[in-house]
Amino acid sequence: MDFWFSYITLAEIYVLLGLSTNLLVGIVGIFSVSQAAVFGVGAYIVAHFLLAAEPMSFLPALGIAAVCCVLLNVLVTLPALRVSGDYFVVTSFGIQLLATAVFTNWTAGTGGANGLPGIPPPDLFNHPLESTGELTLLCTAGAALGCLAFYLIMRAPFGRLLRAIREDESAVAAAGKNVLRAKVSAAALAGAFAGVAGGLYATFLSFIDPSSFDLDASILLLTMVVVGGARTLAGSIIGPFLLLALPQVLTLLDIPTTIAASMRQLLYGLLLILFMMFRPQGLAGEKL
Amino acid sequence: MLWLQLLVNGLETGCALGVVAISFSLIYATTKIFHVAHAGIYTMGGYLAWWLVTLGVPFLVALLFAVAACTAGGALIQSQLYARLERRGATHLVILIASLGTLAVMQNIIAAVFTPNILQFPIPWASNVVVLGGSVRLTWAQLLTIAVSLAAYFAVMWFAHYTILGKRIRAVASNPFLAQITRLRPQSVYVIVVAIASAIVALPGVLVPLDLGLQPYGGITPLLTATIAMIAGGVGSLTGAFVLSIAIAELQNLSLLVMPGEWSIGITFFIFVIFMLFRPTGLFAAR
Amino acid sequence: MSAYLEVAGLQKNFGGLQALQDCSFAIAQGRITCLVGPNGAGKTTIFNVITGFLRPDAGHVVFCDRSLDGLTPQQVVHNGIARTFQNLRLFADLTALDNVMVGLPRQFAEEPLGAIFRPLHAARQQTKRREEARATLAHVGLADRADERVRNLSYGEQKLLTVARVLATGAELLLLDEPASGLSAGALDSIMALLRRLQNEGKTLLVVEHNTRVVQQIADDVLFLHQGHLMAQGTPQQIIADPALAEIYFGGAI
Repeated sequence: MDFWFSYITLAEIYVLLGLSTNLLVGIVGIFSVSQAAVFGVGAYIVAHFLLAAEPMSFLPALGIAAVCCVLLNVLVTLPALRVSGDYFVVTSFGIQLLATAVFTNWTAGTGGANGLPGIPPPDLFNHPLESTGELTLLCTAGAALGCLAFYLIMRAPFGRLLRAIREDESAVAAAGKNVLRAKVSAAALAGAFAGVAGGLYATFLSFIDPSSFDLDASILLLTMVVVGGARTLAGSIIGPFLLLALPQVLTLLDIPTTIAASMRQLLYGLLLILFMMFRPQGLAGEKL
Repeated sequence: MLWLQLLVNGLETGCALGVVAISFSLIYATTKIFHVAHAGIYTMGGYLAWWLVTLGVPFLVALLFAVAACTAGGALIQSQLYARLERRGATHLVILIASLGTLAVMQNIIAAVFTPNILQFPIPWASNVVVLGGSVRLTWAQLLTIAVSLAAYFAVMWFAHYTILGKRIRAVASNPFLAQITRLRPQSVYVIVVAIASAIVALPGVLVPLDLGLQPYGGITPLLTATIAMIAGGVGSLTGAFVLSIAIAELQNLSLLVMPGEWSIGITFFIFVIFMLFRPTGLFAAR
Repeated sequence: MSAYLEVAGLQKNFGGLQALQDCSFAIAQGRITCLVGPNGAGKTTIFNVITGFLRPDAGHVVFCDRSLDGLTPQQVVHNGIARTFQNLRLFADLTALDNVMVGLPRQFAEEPLGAIFRPLHAARQQTKRREEARATLAHVGLADRADERVRNLSYGEQKLLTVARVLATGAELLLLDEPASGLSAGALDSIMALLRRLQNEGKTLLVVEHNTRVVQQIADDVLFLHQGHLMAQGTPQQIIADPALAEIYFGGAI
């Protein structure tokens, strides 16, 4: 039973990441391989505040993490969006590699390569959530709120603006709308989702280290959106649930542990290629 | 003198990086595709050469084989993946994702076959040291890298400016639409360009690990640095890409005087941000 | 008295091709002015410069005594000038209604915070603005096609939609790039009637047009452009009757 709770909880955290990646990659159309970096920033910030000598309560820590990730995304996308899309590819790779370097080498802040163990469970209004069931409930609430926010955005004028931008930016500018502001807002929102996901992740696993937030992790997030489907709520939910189940399926194939990680990443890469070639709309999305 | 040594090391790294940069620049300026899988070709070249050398094949033959294999690999990716996607009207983003997927596949096949550990070339003469000017030490591997890289740069420059094929490539690069409706046939030019660029990138792909060792995921950082050099030098300018590669390598090396090596990626990135903010078209932008 | 829209000394060079050469003209408020000239004369380039899509090498654009130099396209729209595109550039996967709604200024929840934290207010506001958009579509004659995707509209309907989109912005000066090209006779008449209706409602129109019949029927003034420079200016009758201009335009008198 605990296994199922674990799987579902993790999947729900990744749904938030899926929404975040979908906003950035699916809706705004920015190629991002730095989603895991932002996820990591959120996780480390919450971990830091929960592990502090005077530990902060969970929700304020989550809030701070969300704000920081919003600022991070804005800072990163603002200069890169003013020039061509390919420059953002470079920026994104750079952010991810830089983040991994910081996570691994800034031992004082992030525990370095050994990570941060012993992160306490979250507390809601002075009541600590210690059982797996309670944690699952928390993450379900988080994912549900995320999905609601996503739904509300997409049916609002903001959503329409984003869809129009994806089709023809110049025409949107010619209609009198600020394209850059819309894109940066979307990126900011994506940051908020990723930051919250990071906080939930840190407190759920009670241990984080740089390997969860590296380039491979970013590729996994991209694969979730590609497989689940771009730009839809359904795609953002299906992708994570499916892709998190994949490693379990792989263990049935009796692959030696030394190459298990490479095989997983190989599979993700293969999925990316195959879906782009034969089903760019993913399972439940719109064509990328 | 430490800084002189750092400068010379920077020259070596910079030259190798310069070759990566001009090879990537060739592809990007012509096909407009941000071919991240190029890092995979780079890595593949190194590992193939290493494998052959461990089988007893002479180094030069292994190098040539690696060049040939990379040429084929690059041409395959362009003709079977990118060209097909473009025919289906794929957006830029779709092609980028496919390229990333290809990179992941290549790197992880290598990691699965050769393990993720760092491998060294079993070539004794490569690490023999030469002392220049009394204080600067360079290994033969490093000297070879500088020589081959410079030769590659001049070869590519000659090719681009003085051969018919080179001029055709430049024509296609500067106006793909026009090329489409005249008889320049961009798609076949694209395959040729990627093939040539892949051949070229095999050189640092083999020579750099001769000095530093092989690692399956070791292609991304050089590629990233090379693309930053390309952008800072101005897309379309091969010389700009090469020169900026050396400049960035020097800055990275000199930064070792003041900060630990793990943060060199930060220097590279910082340079990129500066250019994005103040001169996004680069220093020597063509056209 | 200064002109409504004044363009002075515009220069633009594209890698050796001089698209605009000391181009200057003025248009008056409330008139329909047609911009004519052979291909490559620089007509669309002028549109791009006026609306901020292109920065000229030299020259100025002044609208209602306000300088438009260096403004971004969206700022130009806020100043009261909106343009259509020769190749339409509609949002193909959106409905006609959505295309128009993108143009409506100052909407609530056009940013995420309003959408998330005040969803009910956002929904109510959207309903109101949707009615505005429907009215605009009705105004151009597309009332019954409002909920169709653009890819399902006929070419003529799409052209009407481009006009609806600029109307939605509330701009008083409309720059229309070949609104009548490629249309059948019936659609042509609809568009011309629409343009005259817009003029009667107080809009000023600057229209790039190749079709001499259209120019004759709707233009109050005609500007003849050649090689990036204003060659002649006058009434449609004057311009069309001039044999020298016909020579340039058609390569031989008509």
